[in-house]
Amino acid sequence: MAVVVVPVVADGPTLSILVGTAAVAIAALGLDVLVGRAGQLSLAHAALLGVGGFTAVNVGGRGGPWPLAVVAAVVVTAAVSTVAGLPSLRIRGLQVAVVTLALQVMAERFLFVRPDVTAGSLTLERPALLEADVPLYLFSVACVALVLLVRRRLGSTRTGRALLAVRDVEARAGAFGVEAGPTKLFAYTLSGAIVGLGGAVLATKATAFGTAIDPFRLLQSLLLVAIVVVGGAGSGSGIILASLFIHTLPQVVDALKRSGPLVSAVLLVVSIVAQPEGIGGVLRDIPRRLRRGREQRPSPRPRLVELAAASEAAADLRRVPRKLALQMPVRALLEAREVGVRYGGVLALDDLSLEVRRGEIVGLIGANGAGKSTFFNAVSGFAPVTGSIRYKGAELLNRPPVRRSTYGLARTFQDMGLVRAETVRENVLLAQTWLARYPGAAGILGLGGTMSQERELRRRAGLALELFGLEHLASERLGDLPYGTMRTVEIAAAVASGPDLLLLDEASAGLGPDESQALGERFLALRDELGLTLVVIEHHVPLIARVCDYCYCLESGRLIAEGSPAEVTSQASVIASFLGRAASQEAVL
Amino acid sequence: MIAQIITGLSSGAAYALVAIGVVLVYKCTRALSIAQGEIGAFGFLVGLRWADGGVPGFGWHLPRFGTLVVAVVVAALIGLVVERLVMRPLVQRPPLDGLIATLGVALVLALAELQIFGTAQQNAPPAVGEWRLRVLGATLVSSRVVAVVVAAAVAAALYVFFSRTKFGLAVLATTSDPTVARVLGVPVNQVYRFAWVASGALAGVAAALLGPAFGGIAPFDLTRFTLRALAGAVIGGLDSIWGAIAGSLIIGVVEAVVGSQVAAGGADTVAVLALVLVTLLLRPRGLFGATAAA
Repeated sequence: MAVVVVPVVADGPTLSILVGTAAVAIAALGLDVLVGRAGQLSLAHAALLGVGGFTAVNVGGRGGPWPLAVVAAVVVTAAVSTVAGLPSLRIRGLQVAVVTLALQVMAERFLFVRPDVTAGSLTLERPALLEADVPLYLFSVACVALVLLVRRRLGSTRTGRALLAVRDVEARAGAFGVEAGPTKLFAYTLSGAIVGLGGAVLATKATAFGTAIDPFRLLQSLLLVAIVVVGGAGSGSGIILASLFIHTLPQVVDALKRSGPLVSAVLLVVSIVAQPEGIGGVLRDIPRRLRRGREQRPSPRPRLVELAAASEAAADLRRVPRKLALQMPVRALLEAREVGVRYGGVLALDDLSLEVRRGEIVGLIGANGAGKSTFFNAVSGFAPVTGSIRYKGAELLNRPPVRRSTYGLARTFQDMGLVRAETVRENVLLAQTWLARYPGAAGILGLGGTMSQERELRRRAGLALELFGLEHLASERLGDLPYGTMRTVEIAAAVASGPDLLLLDEASAGLGPDESQALGERFLALRDELGLTLVVIEHHVPLIARVCDYCYCLESGRLIAEGSPAEVTSQASVIASFLGRAASQEAVL
Repeated sequence: MIAQIITGLSSGAAYALVAIGVVLVYKCTRALSIAQGEIGAFGFLVGLRWADGGVPGFGWHLPRFGTLVVAVVVAALIGLVVERLVMRPLVQRPPLDGLIATLGVALVLALAELQIFGTAQQNAPPAVGEWRLRVLGATLVSSRVVAVVVAAAVAAALYVFFSRTKFGLAVLATTSDPTVARVLGVPVNQVYRFAWVASGALAGVAAALLGPAFGGIAPFDLTRFTLRALAGAVIGGLDSIWGAIAGSLIIGVVEAVVGSQVAAGGADTVAVLALVLVTLLLRPRGLFGATAAA
């Protein structure tokens, strides 16, 4: 993946330019952690680069040893970036861009004009090892390689996956156990640390640093964004190539000297409109197209699996550390009492009381807009609720959504709540976020038990995919799969998180009659083999009739009927709700 | 102090013109645009060039008022082109892509300005003549007075537009759900075009008026317009035109008062930033915003 070009044959000035490009590439890779992974646009990254550089110069120039200057640059820039990221906890993406723009401007007008910050008279002493051009260049390349490695490691940790959830499905990330706030801040910290390293590289290269602050102005911040977009957010090799193109070429090719930035800006616009995945997207497509020409694409449908045959493996998925023990002997796993949900003037749920007993498959039916999904939202914590919802006897309503997923609740969403841009395996791993408890930094460094925890998560993910016949699709991008398969992946992901209670929202939507039949079998097997309790929202009445032990029918937020499926579906009020009054009268007759 | 406030209000009125454009684009397309300030500046600089050096091909030097007209027309044209080529293809994409695209547009325009007009600050006598008005102890130059009048007129016109005209209703429909609006027969593409052309024209007016008042516009002076107008729009609530006006006025006043009381350079920028942060932390949807901005 990493493309390392070593033109050691180049001469001194060219090598010096390349060192500068390496620093810019590092800054762009740091920005990409925010843009590509966390979905936050920062227009202040050139200022952060300046912070790193000036910190290194200040520490080194005042007598500190060079390694200390580098470390100081990394730490200080990480800290500044974290503080700059604090507003993102409260405000959304577009406004964050405005705030970072203001920060960049402030840094230029306020911070970088102070002589004690820019330290014009001080210089950072290069260590003897890096005096010559070639060793310095190799050092800068090593730094780039280190950053690429860190980014790779991030992708294999729970925090890296959590960032994707924050980027794409932020409002629902809590359902996976992802805490959006600390996760976002981590992205800012890591981004800052990487940019700080870039600043240290710049400071090591430059002889008279403090006099020129042009590399840290708004134009450079915007060019960094251009590099990330043209290179392709998330693609390390793409960004490096884009850095070479946007930063090196104008300095080396005379014709581009004046118009270089303008060409880059035009490239940015062209890129975002026509080729949003940038150079990285092109690089990814080439091997994929070559491969496809030769092999058959795997069938995008799940294999039919006999769940009974895999019961031991299935039981394995149920073994998870559970915090909430049963508080007292309760007959009902889930108990809702007088639950109400109001959105402004609309009463979505009105005085709803129902219970779900352990080992049941409960059906929730009703016309569109009856409040079924709203009830799921109430249980998982995404709706403003009055009343009481008890799970295993403990009251849920005071607990944030993130906590509730640790109690053994898992759900699927009506419009598919997974990250379509990522692979099936990544999504199933994402759903298990609450299971691994290590902090982001430890994950990147591979400290402590993090590697073994990751292995365990992957093992469970493999099991879950096998149970649903999806293991041959593990490396496929979720968004490329047919709708029905995507929904099955979502169920597999929910099961992988080891719940006791599974809430399935219209799992049969988009499935044909055969697949609906198979889905019904799966529901029964989930209950029989994995011991799960299910609540299913469904419109497909035969499925409900075959599978459910008990049924509740909602209309306009109120419960209008409950009982066994046969009882409920023959009641006049239920038929009227679905088919209209005339039909119900016919049925009665 | 009163004098500062009056002066600040007049600056705020000019920022409001740009901020209204930003909110208009946001309401129609859900995309936040950083490009308006630079679009206006480009129009103004073209007008200046044609006034000084004559219109290419005609050799006719524009009268002073002509710079205002050219600024408006050129900026509106740029808005039209941007909408058709850059923003229309991005309609289905997440808002972040739209933001990045407008960033690119602003960057292209700013760098083109550097190439075409050079780096020096460009100025001209105000397009609306050289008179002054004394209000409550403050002396306002002609441009500032006209800015206030134009801002008020635009606000009134928009009120009538949204509440009384059919096209205004179409804009509101597109705002709440473009897909449904399209299905119902609302000319959604025309609405997008209107948003960008109108916001471009407004930005051109703002640049032509405020440029002379501030002593000129340098290429790539994003801080002047873009940041203040964005701050005003964000504080007011991105989906409220009244909010944009109110927010911009507040920004103008704060900037003027802080700038006069505190000697340190850049202090007014710090004040603007602080105001944005405080408002967003206390009320993330802005002062007048209806929904939490995306």
